[in-house]
Amino acid sequence: MAQLDIQAVTKTFGTVSVLKDINLNIRSGEFIVFVGPSGCGKSTLLRMITGLETVSSGEIRIEGARVNETDPAQRGTAMVFQSYALYPHMSVAENMGFSLRMAGQKKTEIRDRVARAAAILRLDKLLDRRPGQLSGGQKQRVAIGRAIVREPKVFLFDEPLSNLDAELRVKMRAELLELHRRLKATMIYVTHDQVEAMTLADRMVVMNGGIVQQFGRPLDLYDDPDNLFVAGFIGSPRMNVMSAEVAEVTPTHVTVTSPGGADARLILPFRGLDPSIRQLSLGIRPEHVRLAEAGEGLPVAVDFVEELGDVTYIHGSMPAGERLVIRSGVRRLDPTLTTCHAALDPARFLLFDSEGQRLRESGSLPA
Amino acid sequence: MTAASESASGHRWAVADLWTWAVLKWVVAICIAIVAVFPIWWMVNVVFAEPGAPVSINPRLYPTSFSAGWDKIMMILTETQYLRAYYISVTYALLTILGVLLFGSMAAFEFALFDFPGKGLLFGVVMLSLMVPTAVTIIPTYLLVADLGWLNTMQGLVVPGLASAFGLFMLVQFMRSIPAEMIEAARLDGASHFQIYWHVALPLSKNALVTLAILTFMKTWGNFTWPLIVAPSPETYTVGQVVGLFNAPFSHQTVDVVMTANLLAAVPPLIFFLIFQRKIVEGIAMQGSKG
Repeated sequence: MAQLDIQAVTKTFGTVSVLKDINLNIRSGEFIVFVGPSGCGKSTLLRMITGLETVSSGEIRIEGARVNETDPAQRGTAMVFQSYALYPHMSVAENMGFSLRMAGQKKTEIRDRVARAAAILRLDKLLDRRPGQLSGGQKQRVAIGRAIVREPKVFLFDEPLSNLDAELRVKMRAELLELHRRLKATMIYVTHDQVEAMTLADRMVVMNGGIVQQFGRPLDLYDDPDNLFVAGFIGSPRMNVMSAEVAEVTPTHVTVTSPGGADARLILPFRGLDPSIRQLSLGIRPEHVRLAEAGEGLPVAVDFVEELGDVTYIHGSMPAGERLVIRSGVRRLDPTLTTCHAALDPARFLLFDSEGQRLRESGSLPA
Repeated sequence: MTAASESASGHRWAVADLWTWAVLKWVVAICIAIVAVFPIWWMVNVVFAEPGAPVSINPRLYPTSFSAGWDKIMMILTETQYLRAYYISVTYALLTILGVLLFGSMAAFEFALFDFPGKGLLFGVVMLSLMVPTAVTIIPTYLLVADLGWLNTMQGLVVPGLASAFGLFMLVQFMRSIPAEMIEAARLDGASHFQIYWHVALPLSKNALVTLAILTFMKTWGNFTWPLIVAPSPETYTVGQVVGLFNAPFSHQTVDVVMTANLLAAVPPLIFFLIFQRKIVEGIAMQGSKG
């Protein structure tokens, strides 16, 4: 277990800046997930923590000690790679014990530590096999075992479940959580899958374009995103976003017109909106939109319907062409449905300015 | 003619075409095999025959005297310096193989898996050397070896052949297929640069190393020119040179004795080929596909 501090870290490749002013404070024993689209810099940040990439500026500290110049093997980190990176010519036991062998440990010590890690991961019966004789899930466990054997201060996982099928991913997620509970180790996990991030993380770091967009608990990010990127990235289906014009601002409410191009007015409870703002982006989750009777709510042209059994998602377009997803409990909809009406819960709207930054309420309720 | 009968007739023609093609392939393959094997068979036939029989009016196409052949082999092994030449050739081949594998794999490890200043230029120079004919380099190399005082020595034979551009090229192509993540995993596991080479890159390149060893053996064993000019003393004669003496225009040896010397020279590569033929074919294929 170790605390990890990342202070004003940047990374440039030539003239290209891939990470900009990263500041994170990761507490001892936390399970942190870096999540973001491909190319956002999350894997680069992970590789910088473990020492496989140099730090262009800023500091990385593990347990308070600066490790920028420390050799990767001496940082006390262990990494599990997406491709597992097992040595195909070595047995499972040799793979797991390789780091101890390189450290000059005695054979008995290596055997004991490998056996302990194998017991944790239920690999006892596979120790003599070669990686080529293992399934994807078993290989992944060996890769994790190789990390456990090193008894690192920080575990780093670089999209370790990407090569597994959907069912095995769910199973391995549960195993990783169990492992974290058991080892109580600091773990940093990189993924582009927001469902994986939501289910694993104590806290998650949403990244985009080399910048940390938001850092916090998964549900905090879901309910209270800082910007449109986080609002859109977290949650499946994505948050609905529609443009609107500000018609009236009162101390407790904002009245908007033309939401999504519809001929309608919405009165949203919101305190302290800057009266100079005339254009807004409104965000609302699909679960806060319901099917309404004709004449009620906003008109929506139905594009397609996803019937998932427990829930049905109606994907439609608003008059201005903006997408709207409605979550419905109705299991079987009329297959000829081409238009419908959507009722939006005004209390659930999130407001964003023209640059996509979240507008938060301010001031106290008037007496 | 109905559609069904047309279809059946077409099918018969297709089967007949396949048969013709298969038979033709076999006939051509057998002809090539006969052309390739016949000289060796003729050599065996001449060796295992009574003296004079091979050049008689009515030569046989099969061995006629095992004891006569054995006597000729024993005569060559005991009455000439053939055994010493064998020792020199085997030592020359083994040291060259070891050196080529060692230097080639170390250089390939760096070229294939790491970046360093001038890497592209250096590799380009090495590749350019592949295009320079041996005839161009043999005299400067000889002069260098002579200046070093290495004429008629094992190091004179071996050292100039240790830097194999072809070997480096082949191993670089192979090592490029080693995933970078595996090298990074080894670094995180605390392996030093040399340990990564020794414990990860070398074992993973085993197939390429075996192929290169075989090709180097074939090349070294069959090398006639370099030993001829750098080791002209009889004490350092290789098998190739000894066989060359038997084959010389003014040699007093009879045809069957010359053939015996040739057969003895051909036995090691033949055995080698029979054992490793699959690897040799893979190696030749690798030269083509990776080149």
